[in-house]
Amino acid sequence: MAEGNESWKNKDDQEEDEEDVDETAYTTQKDAVLFAIDVSESMLAPPPPSDSKKPETDSPTAAAIRCAYQIMQQRIISHPKDMMGVLLFGTEKSRFEEEEDSNKGNISYPHCYLLTDLNVPSAADVKALKAIVEDWDEAQSLLKPSEQPVDMPNVLFCANQIFTRGAPDFGSRRLFIITDKDDPHATNKALRSSATVRAKDLYDLGVTIELFPISHPNHKFDRTKFYDDIIYRDPADDGGDLATAPRDIKSSGGDGINLLSDLISDINSKQFTKRSLFSNMKFEIGPEFHISVKGYNLLQQAKPAKQDWIYQGGETNQIVKPESARLNDDRAEPVEKDEIKKAYKFGGTQILFTSEDQEKLRSFGKPGIRIIGFKPQSMLPFWASVKKSTFIYPSEESFVGSSRVFSALWQKLIKDKIMGLAWFIARQNSSPIIVAILPSEERLSETTGLQLNPAGLWLYPLPFIDDLREAPDQPTPVLSPANLTDEMRTVIQQLQLPKGIYDPSKYPNPSLQWHYKILQAMALEEEIRETPEDKTVPKYRQVEKRAGEYIHNWGQILEEATNAYRKERSSGVKHERGDSEGPSKKRVKTEGLGNVSAAELKQMITSEKLAKHTVAELKDLSAAKGLGTSGRKPDLIARIEQWADEN
Amino acid sequence: MADKEANIYIVDVGASTAECRNGRMESDLEYGMKYVWEKIGLALQANRKGLGLGVIALRHDETKNDLDSGEGYENIAVLKDLGQIEMSHLKDLQKKFVSSSTDYGDAMSAMILAVHMIENFTRLKTGKLGKFKRKIVLVTDGQGIMDDNDLKSLAEKVNELEIELIVVGIDFDDLEYGFKEEDKPSNKRSNEKVLQELVESCKNGTFATMAEVLESLAEPVVKVTRPYCNYRGKLSLGDYNKYPDTAAYIDVERYFKTHQARPPGASSFVNKTSVSNGEASGQDTEMTDAPDLSAVKSGIRYQISDPSAPGGKQDVNREELSKAYYYGSTAVPISASEENVTKLETNQSFEIIGFIPNDKYERYLNMGECNITVAQSVNDKAKMALSSLIHALHELDSYAVARIVTKDGKGPQLLVMAPSIENEVEALLDVPLPFAEDVRIYSFPPLDRVITTSGAIMKKHRNLPNDDLVKSMSDYVDSMDLSGFGRDENGEPTEYMTIEETYAPGLHRINQAIRTRAVQPDKPVEEPPEILVKWSHPPPELVKKAAPKLQKLVEAADVKKVADKVRGKRTRDQIKPLSGLDVNSLLNSQKPRAARKITMENSIPDFKQLLEATVSSSEIHDLVTQMAKIIYKMVANTAIGGSFDMVTENMRVLRSQMMDLEMPEIYNGFIRDFKQKLVAGELFENEFASNKRELWFRVVKSKRLGLIDTEVSEHSDISKEEAAQFYVLSTELPSRAK
Repeated sequence: MAEGNESWKNKDDQEEDEEDVDETAYTTQKDAVLFAIDVSESMLAPPPPSDSKKPETDSPTAAAIRCAYQIMQQRIISHPKDMMGVLLFGTEKSRFEEEEDSNKGNISYPHCYLLTDLNVPSAADVKALKAIVEDWDEAQSLLKPSEQPVDMPNVLFCANQIFTRGAPDFGSRRLFIITDKDDPHATNKALRSSATVRAKDLYDLGVTIELFPISHPNHKFDRTKFYDDIIYRDPADDGGDLATAPRDIKSSGGDGINLLSDLISDINSKQFTKRSLFSNMKFEIGPEFHISVKGYNLLQQAKPAKQDWIYQGGETNQIVKPESARLNDDRAEPVEKDEIKKAYKFGGTQILFTSEDQEKLRSFGKPGIRIIGFKPQSMLPFWASVKKSTFIYPSEESFVGSSRVFSALWQKLIKDKIMGLAWFIARQNSSPIIVAILPSEERLSETTGLQLNPAGLWLYPLPFIDDLREAPDQPTPVLSPANLTDEMRTVIQQLQLPKGIYDPSKYPNPSLQWHYKILQAMALEEEIRETPEDKTVPKYRQVEKRAGEYIHNWGQILEEATNAYRKERSSGVKHERGDSEGPSKKRVKTEGLGNVSAAELKQMITSEKLAKHTVAELKDLSAAKGLGTSGRKPDLIARIEQWADEN
Repeated sequence: MADKEANIYIVDVGASTAECRNGRMESDLEYGMKYVWEKIGLALQANRKGLGLGVIALRHDETKNDLDSGEGYENIAVLKDLGQIEMSHLKDLQKKFVSSSTDYGDAMSAMILAVHMIENFTRLKTGKLGKFKRKIVLVTDGQGIMDDNDLKSLAEKVNELEIELIVVGIDFDDLEYGFKEEDKPSNKRSNEKVLQELVESCKNGTFATMAEVLESLAEPVVKVTRPYCNYRGKLSLGDYNKYPDTAAYIDVERYFKTHQARPPGASSFVNKTSVSNGEASGQDTEMTDAPDLSAVKSGIRYQISDPSAPGGKQDVNREELSKAYYYGSTAVPISASEENVTKLETNQSFEIIGFIPNDKYERYLNMGECNITVAQSVNDKAKMALSSLIHALHELDSYAVARIVTKDGKGPQLLVMAPSIENEVEALLDVPLPFAEDVRIYSFPPLDRVITTSGAIMKKHRNLPNDDLVKSMSDYVDSMDLSGFGRDENGEPTEYMTIEETYAPGLHRINQAIRTRAVQPDKPVEEPPEILVKWSHPPPELVKKAAPKLQKLVEAADVKKVADKVRGKRTRDQIKPLSGLDVNSLLNSQKPRAARKITMENSIPDFKQLLEATVSSSEIHDLVTQMAKIIYKMVANTAIGGSFDMVTENMRVLRSQMMDLEMPEIYNGFIRDFKQKLVAGELFENEFASNKRELWFRVVKSKRLGLIDTEVSEHSDISKEEAAQFYVLSTELPSRAK
């Protein structure tokens, strides 16, 4: 039940600063996905023989389960709080839930087999799927199709109940149906209309159906036969996914297309619900001229989940959620939020502000995006970067016609390589920032045709003068002679990245992957055999093969040019310190404190090692952390400790 | 930047400063002190030991200085000796700054005294001058009597000690700034001349009129931080260990180029609950001006569920707990010895992965702050090597993609690096790139075409701009061009609103407010100063110029505001499946409406569908009653420590449906009954007090399911305050409801 408390706080999409949230945000923005996988003769049929190099062996059902298994592992990493379940339908066996509650009666939905209950997946769930995927023969009894024809109303109501119980207050609930039957009730009109009614129930419950239809070489899946009657789109969603073309279709068979990878990429493109960061935001194009937009966080640094506390003293391990309460110092009694006053350190004392003062100080007006003017994109310096950008997309919510105005602006910015500049207040009481408005063009995958990059505008935060740092002085530049630069040019030309782009999908975060790989092995009680896979490490052999020769030449020229330069210099008037020594020998220096990280510092503080350093070292450290370097040793240490505390 | 400083402020407090002149409502002293207080405030805020500050009052009633035995030093009082300034000094100074009753006291003598004090303060025992920044500021109305005999020797001494001398005069003439005082008294005129002469004979002197100085005070002071080196080592290309001949590295250093400045952090306090309590408490917090406050600390409780304990929960000590990570919903305990088991082992390194043409990089992929990489100083070879890379990248219009591990054990980060050649400084600039996991693939419809359900592509649609709109948008955007809207010193067109002209509004506003409050504790919080909101709107001249284009754009766009009422209220009949099948009539044809009841297991869809079909308000009441029963039953069925999520969701739907129907009073009636039943203990069979609180706070309060007030729905007669009060659960009183 700590869940309830956590849930509304779970604004992982938002900034860490605690700011007022609007009422709608109280519904959990978490996502629950239920895979409903069809088990039937045709879905279990192995693919026809193929002459491709890696022939496919999985039947559509097998591919779907394999896909669910992979997606489950992926979601544990990317969306650790979201739920997932797997339901097989058309099976001979039936299972709904463990019969725990006898008074509810033994509810069961014939030929629906709930393989994984809708929940945040556990290690056991992953194991169970893994067992099936790794040994299809074992799973034979499970994957036996029923003699009875499929009963869609029954399947839909079963899904309804799974969502009603499993994820009642989830902001996003989706049912992924994977099937090859485009007209399950061609002959039974009553069942067909009953299915449409059950589908409406799901819609009213807030469950969205996503269809992943499978065509066979001799049969193309036709949505209009049945599924268009049960699939809804929210009119408020401005067309939503619908407008990005109904994608056909994973054909099973020997045309070289891998059903599994196709299914995974398609599901991946839909697996995350669009969570908007803000909606109905006023976008002021000019004075008194507004449209409305929604904002999305398309970039979000993924980090390993935080550590939790666990109690191992009882019969079963229990997670312990620390509950923090604000207490007053003198009587250790809880205090209410609005009693709290804020004080800032100032000249050795505290300067007080009431919560109303605080609020007033934070207020710079209502949330909104206001265009100040336009500049060519070339006027955006490379270094002007402080924070990730936010994607915005038009919405007709408050202003009808927003989409066409937005589109016109977008077209203009693309055509003339212009950027907008705007004053942006993201939320009530958040500090205004100045953003560049950059357009992005749609980019589709060459292989799957899926969207990689949406068309829209990005709010790109600009630094303020306060955010600029000075680099150290650079005495006397040493310019590269032309032949050296030429050689380096060849090296650069030899080492272009594939297609000349940086494609993020090619570079998973090695720390994150390793963290979860170890965690998974520990959770599933498996052995860790592999060494970490790190795709961010340069491909040394390729570098060697493609550019080794040129790098070698470059090194030679560099050596000669440096010698020549030195000769010239030493024959001159001044002889500068350090010149005559080999450049690479010079760097052996005792490690000062200047480079110590916050974490290392904390450790030093707890082990009381800080005091062992000299005042000079401590001063270096203070300077490096931007702290004052004045005062005696205890002062320095106190300041550093405070800094470490705050960082 | 962290240089030591010795600054002395000499303030003229002569009898003449008590008057209000030139249409001002404040006395000349108050007017001048605005500047001094701000400077003192900044010094307080900097809170640096090395920042010495002294204050001298000139034409003061008293005489109090080291040189007071000498002639000509009368009516000069040192109010604060050179040294760090603290809040207690400020309080003291505030009392002392009143206009005196004398006109005696020589500004020249005061300056000589200040020079003397600075010399004593900054000369080392060895006799050499310490490394200090020295400054004397004289604030005067120029109405005193001055002896200009010592002018020359004073200037010499000022120059010898490298003192910056600033003379700020109240209503002094400044032709450059554009100020001239009419009917200036003759002694002031001559004093101004003498002071000007003094300033001009100093190497580092400034002469200014108060109005200009006050104006420039609005310009926020930007804190300068020392360069911070976050990587020092090799930048490599290829594996130089394995292929020593065909791989390369350059010795480099990497520094912050941008780093977000944060506003100061605040600590929390509350009014002390009892002052009478004799115990000495909260001594660790120095609340000199507010002794009746106590600090807020956060206490953390660790509880486990234990059905045998009262309330089903039991406190445990932190020592009994171990750390764990979640894998999905499974907790994986990590013992202290294997704490770093999930950490990837890495070694400090900085390696180039490859290169890309710079027009293929999308700026919006930037994940954060910029760093700058330069060759290690006194390493000519490295400088030349890096220079070749920078020039080659520059000539090829390319960027490098690199991987950096700033410290052993830190996670690798990918960077895109651009060459930079500016003012003879050659460097690589880099910004972090996203990893695969950092990019969320959401798909959005394209903006230049509309795709219909059937997959047909349309180029003309109400959501797409017509040619007229495209043209007028283009014209408008062109008319709002800022690239040449600014003016430089020579009046030539230049870029408007450069980054160097923008100040972080949140940061400076709070800093300024803190200073103001320290000096004037009773002054209410003010609106943000003009300079911080300067960029909140387009420049008015430009707006005026672009107005006709905007007008055309507005016409072509034909944007209509959605009336508030329509929004949120669903037009239910629009909701149809993709095929457009009328499911509602199908639904109604299956079973007569009156015979349908809300079922427990399908409560939400049943409720919504029946509600859609209702016509009379009595039917609505009946449905709500059915819903209420179901909710009560769900509550009763909830196991101890179980989840109230289903209850929450049903209540949420009930509430939002009643809001949509503009019948908030029905929901309000329900939630009042609910509270009453809860308080009276009718909701649970075997109830624990904690369960009851849980239900109220976790469900009703935290999910905001209380009374619907007028702010949320105009049809409600409940005030915001009443709605807020409703969340308070007092177990003694039955309820507020009748």
